[in-house]
Amino acid sequence: MFYLIGLGLGDAKDITVKGLEIVKNCDKVYLEAYTSILTVGKETLEEFYGRPLILADRELCESSIDNVLEEAREKHIALLVVGDPLGATTHTDMLLRAKEFGVSTQIVHNASIMNAVSCCGLQLYNFGETVSIPYWTDTWKPDSFFEKIVANFARNLHTLCLLDIKVKEPTEESLTKKVRQYMDPKFMSVKEAAQQLIHIIENHPESEINKSTTAVGLCRVGAPDQKIAVSSIEAMQQCDLGPPLHSLVIPAPNLHPLELDYLAQFR
Amino acid sequence: MVNFTVDEIRTMMDKKRNIRNMSVIAHVDHGKSTLTDSLVSKAGIIAGARAGETRFTDTRKDEQDRCITIKSTAISMFFELEEKDLVFITNPDQREKNEKGFLINLIDSPGHVDFSSEVTAALRVTDGALVVVDCVSGVCVQTETVLRQAIAERIKPILFMNKMDRALLELQLESEELYQTFQRIVENVNVIIATYSDDSGPMGEVRVDPSKGSVGFGSGLHGWAFTLKQFSEMYADKFKIDLVKLMNRLWGENFFNPQTKKWAKQKDNDNKRSFCMYVLDPIYKVFDAIMNFKKDEIDSLLKKLGVTIKHEDADKDGKALLKVVMRSWLPAGEALLQMIAIHLPSPVVAQKYRMEMLYEGPHDDEAAIGIKNCDPEAPLMMYVSKMVPTSDKGRFYAFGRVFSGKVVTGQKARIMGPNYQPGKKEDLYEKTIQRTILMMGRYVEAIEDVPSGNICGLVGVDQFLVKTGTITTFKNAHNMKVMKFSVSPVVRVAVEPKNPADLPKLVEGLKRLAKSDPMVQCINEESGEHIVAGAGELHLEICLKDLEEDHACIPIKKSDPVVSYRETVGEESDQMCLSKSPNKHNRLFMKAQPMPEGLPEDIDEGHVNPRDDFKTRARYLSDKYEYDVTEARKIWCFGPEGTGPNILVDCTKGVQYLNEIKDSVVAGFQWAAKEGVMAEENLRGVRFNIYDVTLHTDAIHRGGGQIIPTTRRCLYACLLTAQPRLMEPVYLCEIQCPEVAVGGIYGVLNRRRGHVFEESQVAGTPMFVVKAYLPVNESFGFTADLRSNTGGQAFPQCVFDHWQILPGDPCEAGSKPYVVVQETRKRKGLKEGLPDLNQYLDKL
Repeated sequence: MFYLIGLGLGDAKDITVKGLEIVKNCDKVYLEAYTSILTVGKETLEEFYGRPLILADRELCESSIDNVLEEAREKHIALLVVGDPLGATTHTDMLLRAKEFGVSTQIVHNASIMNAVSCCGLQLYNFGETVSIPYWTDTWKPDSFFEKIVANFARNLHTLCLLDIKVKEPTEESLTKKVRQYMDPKFMSVKEAAQQLIHIIENHPESEINKSTTAVGLCRVGAPDQKIAVSSIEAMQQCDLGPPLHSLVIPAPNLHPLELDYLAQFR
Repeated sequence: MVNFTVDEIRTMMDKKRNIRNMSVIAHVDHGKSTLTDSLVSKAGIIAGARAGETRFTDTRKDEQDRCITIKSTAISMFFELEEKDLVFITNPDQREKNEKGFLINLIDSPGHVDFSSEVTAALRVTDGALVVVDCVSGVCVQTETVLRQAIAERIKPILFMNKMDRALLELQLESEELYQTFQRIVENVNVIIATYSDDSGPMGEVRVDPSKGSVGFGSGLHGWAFTLKQFSEMYADKFKIDLVKLMNRLWGENFFNPQTKKWAKQKDNDNKRSFCMYVLDPIYKVFDAIMNFKKDEIDSLLKKLGVTIKHEDADKDGKALLKVVMRSWLPAGEALLQMIAIHLPSPVVAQKYRMEMLYEGPHDDEAAIGIKNCDPEAPLMMYVSKMVPTSDKGRFYAFGRVFSGKVVTGQKARIMGPNYQPGKKEDLYEKTIQRTILMMGRYVEAIEDVPSGNICGLVGVDQFLVKTGTITTFKNAHNMKVMKFSVSPVVRVAVEPKNPADLPKLVEGLKRLAKSDPMVQCINEESGEHIVAGAGELHLEICLKDLEEDHACIPIKKSDPVVSYRETVGEESDQMCLSKSPNKHNRLFMKAQPMPEGLPEDIDEGHVNPRDDFKTRARYLSDKYEYDVTEARKIWCFGPEGTGPNILVDCTKGVQYLNEIKDSVVAGFQWAAKEGVMAEENLRGVRFNIYDVTLHTDAIHRGGGQIIPTTRRCLYACLLTAQPRLMEPVYLCEIQCPEVAVGGIYGVLNRRRGHVFEESQVAGTPMFVVKAYLPVNESFGFTADLRSNTGGQAFPQCVFDHWQILPGDPCEAGSKPYVVVQETRKRKGLKEGLPDLNQYLDKL
């Protein structure tokens, strides 16, 4: 049996009762640690669950997952995922492969930034396509996500921008070598995201989104020290919201009066 | 006594029209260094009597011991031309008004093919070339190679027929025969020149012509030489005929009848070829008189020639006397100097047409215009073509040519390596030039600054450049073009220190070795092996000796030499190859196919290259190789190293966001092209087509981490499904020998998988020339084997010629390529056996 269990957003205690029961009874529990992170570390979780966890990095989840599934034929294996287990689309592949192996699966859902973003007062119904903003390199500066933000904006929809996190990512140079070297972990802040956005806006002067368009910065949603800030994209470049994780929302141009009132609290 | 001082030279450097930068090039043993001595002695650096024996430019001990030039050596010399000769210089850009002095920067280069990278480096910084041909052996393979390179770099050649003493003393050729030999060599040289350039080109007429004075004759060893100009001067007054007209009469089909005093265009009974009569006969007479000890004749001859014998030479006879007489009658330095000053271009003339070949940037920016005008006031543009070891171990002078502006001691400049790209920081340093110096063969002299058009050395730049680079003060300058070598490092050995504790010294030594030679490659394999790769056995031998004695200074163990192979494919992939990214959300669909014959060579030679305009390139590929024009316009890249003979073509239709993964796909392609699937050797002649791509909607899930490894897996699958093949390097081998030894040559070649494609007699000599193709892998010990089978009479010259498929399927156990693949994998520490397709190919 293979379980995918969502951990929620805040701390150790956000796991559901059902999830916790499964964790306690499993033979082996992996903690996925590359699509998102909790505000607490692995040790706190182990203490709370009263059992050891195995860290699962990208390579284990993508390239070596077959070994895990092989084991799941005989044993109960759980993979803990921060937020909702299927929030990061990449994990659907695991379920498909589990099926190939003849391993039955169970999913335990939980809160995700996809719904918790409503804490800023923008109505969930009015969100358009979600985008991710990747870290740029010297040579790789994709801006296709901007087109999507503009498309949402034109249709009077909000855009949730997930910000890049890099945990144990191989460096560009070492990708073409046999020995992998990994970058230091880094998490994009709303500040950095706004800087990249401004860069794109400067290249697209005709766009409906400009420097004075409103942006909402969110950080550590679901945690006790959650913060929300509202300002123009330009001002957002100077906005320091503290430790990760951060997310950014570009609200629709015409907001409902209630949305406006709610946002006003964070200006 | 030295005829000139550094100050004099520095003054001359500003007179850019009176500068001649030249290299001496030739086949091995045709006498370049010996001939160079004549010029050096004229400049007073070595005693005249010893010219021809010293080989001043062979500075290394092993060069002197082996009598072979290994490194090219530069020397600056100052001469004055007489008033009567100055009138021959008609182009106003070839001479400053009222200046008789000329500054000649000469580079003596090695003739052995293994060191031809040194020639390439020398040619880059010079404008003219003195091509030396041994008139006994004629035009040889290396003569052709270096001449071709010279023309490609837009270097103007002049010709010198060397070793006339041998033709007269050993072969005892009749004068008409000797004329025919000369005529044939001139023709051969002109045929090569005509093949690679034409008279309407930017250089103008490039052909060499004895009647114009651009061909010299003589003996470097004996220190005498002449052109038709010297002889015309002797006769012009007597005949009351214009000097230039007489020069024309003295060559070619011109016959003179001494009885009727009439000139004719045909040979008949009474007349004689003018060249034989007026030029060769006097020389023959001198030779005959002296070598046969005809004492009376000698005295009268000497009087006629106006040669007086110095007191200390009075009791010499035979060869020694011949040398003295010939040298005072026809001093080689004088004839050479005139040829150089009159016929080779000044930097002002040459840089006008060389700029577009030298500069990568736009042809109208400040740097380009500075180069074109050879303007010392423009921004500095200097090309460093090689590194010369200093007496201080581990440090090097950066040797190169100032094309524009001035390089000054203490100046702050941008030092750009070959990988620098304008606007980026990679391979770029802004540093101070510690010192500028003048290279004088065995000595160096400090100099304050060096203006455009001159060759010099720099101190302190070696830390920032590996082998070559551009030095500039212009912020937006592009690089000067990197040099194209005619040979490639196909022979390699692995080295390790005898004492493992010396490893750091070896690593440091390898770095220095890589710097000191323009061609050698020092590679650290990921398996921890240290590889030294060179052009041939001799090149490697010299490199390893240098490494052991000069650079690392530790005892070294070396493996047997091995050859580098190339991987290619025989057919198009038999299926569409799909590979999925690790997160399974991105899918690539590709195929591999062999390139049409000739295209890899076209890419090697730069006829098809990544910097071309894509439309022109597509047109060329479609016309010549029947590539689809739309596809040919979408060549994403060349590889390995961005320039190699493999391409990646985008054949997709309407894939969204394809551009965002292009860089990652290209990186994966470069990786796979550098390390092929069979034995991690470079690929050659493979075209990959991308047919379709499925991507995750979100940019984060299609970054390099996902795409680069996937591209490589997909390309590997393409290779494995397209009949993988191995290619081996093949030498063109030219062997000179007497007829009796020819049989022995065939025997040796047959045993080594070689095959002869040409066999001919050198006209006028009993020597035969055999040309053959020989796989490099079979060439180790070839020279020794050949000598022992021909009684030491056959001498081969091997130069890398082409890549050829090693027959057989590398996937079939027991075949020759299979064995090579397995050996290579073992050596590189890879898993033995064959690569498994299932590792690379995914199912839908």
